[in-house]
Amino acid sequence: MSGARAIVEALEREKVEYIFGMPGGATLPFYDALWDSKVKHVLVRHEQLGAHMADAYGRVARRAGVCTGTSGPGATNLVTGIATAFADSSPVVAITGQVAKAMTGRNGFQETDVVGVLTPVTKYTVQPLSAAEIPSAIRKGFYIAETGRPGPVLIDIPKDVQQEEVEMTFPESIQIRGYSPNYPVDVQDIERAADMLARAERPVLFGGGGIRIADAASQFTAIAELLMAPVITTLQGKGTFPEDHPLSLGPIGMHGRAEANRIVQECDLLLAVGVRFSDRSTGNFHEFAPEAKIIHVDTDPTEFNKNKLVDLSVLGDANRALTLLYDALLRRLAKRDENNAWLKHVNQVREELKGIPAYRDSYAELSGPKIVKLMRSILPPEAILTTGVGRHQMWCEIHYKVLRPRTWITSTGLGTMGFGLPAAIGAKLAAPNVPVVDFDGDGSFVMTEQALATAVEERIPVVSIIINDRSLGMVEQWQRLMYNRRFVGIRFQNIPDFVKLAQAYGVQGRLVGSLQEFGDALREGIRSDQPSVVEVPVSHEEDVFPFMPPGKGIKDTVYGTSKEMAVF
Amino acid sequence: MLSTLVENKPGALFRVVNVVRLMRLNIEGMTLGVTNHGEDCRITITLDGDEAAVEHVARQLVKVIDVLEAHTYSPEEVTARELALIKVNTDKMSVADIQKMRLCRIVDSSAHSVVVEVVGSAKEIDDFVKSLTTAVLDIARTGVAALPKELPA
Repeated sequence: MSGARAIVEALEREKVEYIFGMPGGATLPFYDALWDSKVKHVLVRHEQLGAHMADAYGRVARRAGVCTGTSGPGATNLVTGIATAFADSSPVVAITGQVAKAMTGRNGFQETDVVGVLTPVTKYTVQPLSAAEIPSAIRKGFYIAETGRPGPVLIDIPKDVQQEEVEMTFPESIQIRGYSPNYPVDVQDIERAADMLARAERPVLFGGGGIRIADAASQFTAIAELLMAPVITTLQGKGTFPEDHPLSLGPIGMHGRAEANRIVQECDLLLAVGVRFSDRSTGNFHEFAPEAKIIHVDTDPTEFNKNKLVDLSVLGDANRALTLLYDALLRRLAKRDENNAWLKHVNQVREELKGIPAYRDSYAELSGPKIVKLMRSILPPEAILTTGVGRHQMWCEIHYKVLRPRTWITSTGLGTMGFGLPAAIGAKLAAPNVPVVDFDGDGSFVMTEQALATAVEERIPVVSIIINDRSLGMVEQWQRLMYNRRFVGIRFQNIPDFVKLAQAYGVQGRLVGSLQEFGDALREGIRSDQPSVVEVPVSHEEDVFPFMPPGKGIKDTVYGTSKEMAVF
Repeated sequence: MLSTLVENKPGALFRVVNVVRLMRLNIEGMTLGVTNHGEDCRITITLDGDEAAVEHVARQLVKVIDVLEAHTYSPEEVTARELALIKVNTDKMSVADIQKMRLCRIVDSSAHSVVVEVVGSAKEIDDFVKSLTTAVLDIARTGVAALPKELPA
């Protein structure tokens, strides 16, 4: 069997449905072997898009998405997509072609040291140097990508290795000496955590993306309801706790919900699960949750005490740890009722903050927050929302209530503009029976708009909503608020007509002028079996609030524009 | 000081050094040698940096798939040795004087110089080099090899 055939056979054994990519000289043997394979190739127009598609597919499908590119530029085009998956702990297997071994180091056509380039942004890289190594390399790649704290893995295969004919054996399981992702949870840690939680007077639960990854949302919810404690999340953790639940305060952070940011500062115990205390969540590390004892549950021991010192770290899978913790709590206490003093106070704070300018609707007919809220009322709970990066994404953070895990797919760690549309395509292929919407900005959308070509070819009905402020809005906001309105490099003088752009790709495009028209366009889009684009023109001057300026703490949070705050 | 055991295969050192580089630490010495019947490789790295940064490196290293173990040690916790080859100008210091010095052994002689071998702790080698003053022509040091001491019972 050839090395190329072994790649395909190994992918089939991993039950891979799709491979997102673009062929080239160094992957031709591999592509030839795809000819009679069950694995479906999805042709992209740029390898970065394939990596985003594989990433989103992985986040929704709970198993690694696969992308591919040829040697040289094909491989380097993958970098942003791979780094995005790495920053958000998403399972991806990237297969790249490499120049033949005899040509290594000769700076021949399309040679790039992609192992060197990608090592810092992957969980693992492997380069089989004989065809016989391919089956175990691929098994190992999927195992590493999908287990423990997931992440992207690169498998770089020289062309001559793809062409080599050898007797193949495919391993069922593999041993990796330096990798043991399944730490048993220490029961003593659980008992201590339960003691601390039972004693706490002002507990808060804090959920991150790790809960989604470990499928631990139901255990997390059960603990919240047992303690009747308020729940906050990270931006990545949205949906790990239903945001329409009476205990939900929403996400904390730079553009988090005001009540969530306020309450975390007052709690005396913080149960943090699957979070990494990112600066965008906590603001100033030292000022964050100053009165709280912190329990940190995570599957990655290097996260403990990395950014924020904690009082108790519980190593292990969140699903297992929270199951044990729930049982340990049940032995200590009965379900608390909603009349506890802490919850009353929390609801009082929530009531107090209802009137902040950030939560009031803009006078303009069309504005980001109004569109987000209307979109939520139209989309069913199981609908998947992907986003680009910028103000439109932050409006979703504040106003879009995510109701189920794995229905909120966004680039938070790396903050990659252009993630939205290719991610929507990957998500739709992983969950073909639910509506998938890319909520995007004009700046983000044009970075990867050519994914529309793939959506049309493969008949993938995703709706792209473009909040068009003709500006790089988030940067404009920072220049307005922190750089004394010295606007540089943010205004698009030339912007495509998005309706015509959509039509050029064979996609239905609509420009809406009212909330009514937006609602109609969205409903039509999610009913259609074709991709569509909905353009929503908005003012470039509407900023995102609340806003906790970088490096600052909650006390410095701004709840509205300076004009609004003057009369608030 | 950082001691790490890695799988003996191409690229493992690159992965280790990459984590050190990320934390912007300077490597002052490094030894590497195959162990465990050729399956593993022990790398001992002396780093210039504060304890927290070195500890961060060690913790991140544990996450690297090819790394089997990674620990930080203070000088008191390990048995450490370094070897240096020093070329000494015999016009400035006589061979007889060199032979009287501690820790060293002459391993090669030429008309105007000898090469001496010195084995000891990094400090002993520093002190030895100082005592030769201007007679030193060239130095090659191996970097520190270290093994942790048995913990007192």
